[in-house]
Amino acid sequence: MHKDFKLGKEDINILKGINLDIEQGEMVALLGPSGSGKSTFLNVLGGLVPPTSGDIMIRDYRISEMTENELCLFRREHLGFIFQSYNLISTMTAMENVALALTFAGVKKEIRKERAIEALEVVGLVDRMGHKPSELSGGQQQRVSIARALVNHPEIILADEPTGNLDSKTSADIMEMIYRLNREENQTFVIVTHDPDTTKYCTKVIHMRDGLIESEVNQ
Amino acid sequence: MKFRTILTIIGVVIGTSSIIVMVSIGNGAQKSITDELSGIGSVTTLQVYQDLSSMGMTSMGGGKTDDKAILNDDAIKDLKKIDGVVAVTPVVNLNGGEIEVDREQYGVSLMGVDYAVLEDMRYVTTSGKKPGANDENSVILGKDVLTSITYTGASTQLTESEVKPEDLIGQNITMTIKRTNANGEEEMKTQKLKVTGVLEATGGNEDYSIIADYNLVTELNEWQTGRKANVKKQGYTQALVTVEDSSVVNAVTTEVEAMQFTVFSMQQILDSMGSVFQMLQILLGGIGGVALLVACIGIVNTMTMSIYERTKEIGIMKVIGASISDIRNMFIAESTMIGLIGGLVGIVISLVLSVLINLVAGFFIGGEGGVTISFITPGLVIFALVFSALVGLLSGVRPAIKAANLSSLDAIRSE
Repeated sequence: MHKDFKLGKEDINILKGINLDIEQGEMVALLGPSGSGKSTFLNVLGGLVPPTSGDIMIRDYRISEMTENELCLFRREHLGFIFQSYNLISTMTAMENVALALTFAGVKKEIRKERAIEALEVVGLVDRMGHKPSELSGGQQQRVSIARALVNHPEIILADEPTGNLDSKTSADIMEMIYRLNREENQTFVIVTHDPDTTKYCTKVIHMRDGLIESEVNQ
Repeated sequence: MKFRTILTIIGVVIGTSSIIVMVSIGNGAQKSITDELSGIGSVTTLQVYQDLSSMGMTSMGGGKTDDKAILNDDAIKDLKKIDGVVAVTPVVNLNGGEIEVDREQYGVSLMGVDYAVLEDMRYVTTSGKKPGANDENSVILGKDVLTSITYTGASTQLTESEVKPEDLIGQNITMTIKRTNANGEEEMKTQKLKVTGVLEATGGNEDYSIIADYNLVTELNEWQTGRKANVKKQGYTQALVTVEDSSVVNAVTTEVEAMQFTVFSMQQILDSMGSVFQMLQILLGGIGGVALLVACIGIVNTMTMSIYERTKEIGIMKVIGASISDIRNMFIAESTMIGLIGGLVGIVISLVLSVLINLVAGFFIGGEGGVTISFITPGLVIFALVFSALVGLLSGVRPAIKAANLSSLDAIRSE
């Protein structure tokens, strides 16, 4: 898998020219102080914001030239997202939140439920599938959001500070789980974090500063 | 369901039911009037006359009598051939007859029809029976034949006789007609008539006439006027055409008019009244429509509010793979549901209201068998349902497009 970035945002140049290759099955940590552009980089990577200039290639797909609808379809099949604030829909149960991603892919209702339960099994939350997000702890909510990211079996999962709102014990649990998924499913992870502990699970650690890559370490 | 959504639905309910109730009142007015009209004048009977205008034309144009359509026996035969026609009879009238019943004199007129087709015509006797084809001297009495009209100064008074027409069934009555002969002397002729039945009210001339056989009336007419009628050349003044049912009236009317006769039917009156009632319904529906328009604004408002409230949710859905059309359809479906639920509840409420209106009106107006002020047709129900769903759908389009075009990243960051 190959990805190229050459980015620059006009007024405020958040990303000032980034060039990076990530291989399939890698687990990449993006570190850097706030304002260094690591979240923006992740969002551009996921097709949530278009780059001002430059290319993003995921396998043979040229993300930077896709229309919004093409991006939606692409995200549906190839990408999973995990957010710092979980971003679960508060009116839906854990199971419904996970199944929602499949709804848009046009999967039948029974199969949706089956696969949502499967994904919740992976994160160990089957017994809580009928609960709403407000009835779950932070760690549990994040596990639901991981299950949601997994349910489509995407090749790439983009995580924006997945442990940012969690205590260190729970953070470790979540990272263990991500590590396990990375090993077992050979899924590629790109994780934005400012927690150095997180980096020990990763195969590649990238430090960013002022919109540029400061260092790239394979470990 | 959110309280706000329920309020919006109530708006649609009020809008839908106001349209239905308004239009149903227009319907009710139409129904009661057309029912009354089709009850009295038989809608399946056409009155055919020789074309008066063409008669005038030919006499002025120097006697091109070939072109003139004459309502003679040949024409009667042609009329009979038209699809949907059941019976055709010429009509001859005799005025100035007098009968004496219970020592009272009654002026009567005779209406002569062909007894051979009497059975096929839609004359209904309330009591007694119709004369057979050969009962030349038998007659049917019109319902009001014994009701004498007296003029007292400016006002007209209807006096009902103590003798009911029904009392005469099976009896022989004697009718007297007069003529003035060439010497200026008055001559009298009496004719015995056997009453076999009484005709149900038709609302037409029949009510005040005695229905008699065509041959008998012609004979009496010839005696009275002193000359033979030349049917072949001059034709009958009038013929009655009975058709299968009201659906073929218009088609038959067109064909008869093509034969250059003048046609008059109750259907023509009903048709022209129909367009008046259509105007009335559009007007009433429009008044009801204002309420639905307000409801429509309510839906737009609710949907827009809902988008602001659910911006984050929309963002999440877009990030996890919802396409623009997924989001748009979701919101349009929601607003269509608001319209549809509102419409359904509105229909139920209008049906209840309609029954109540008729009950209350019946209580005040009286009358047997209830009163129809408000009348809801199945078509009106279907129209209301489709219309309310459509209003919901259209109201949702703009908010839905707005929602679909939200930037997913901005949306997901909003709180």
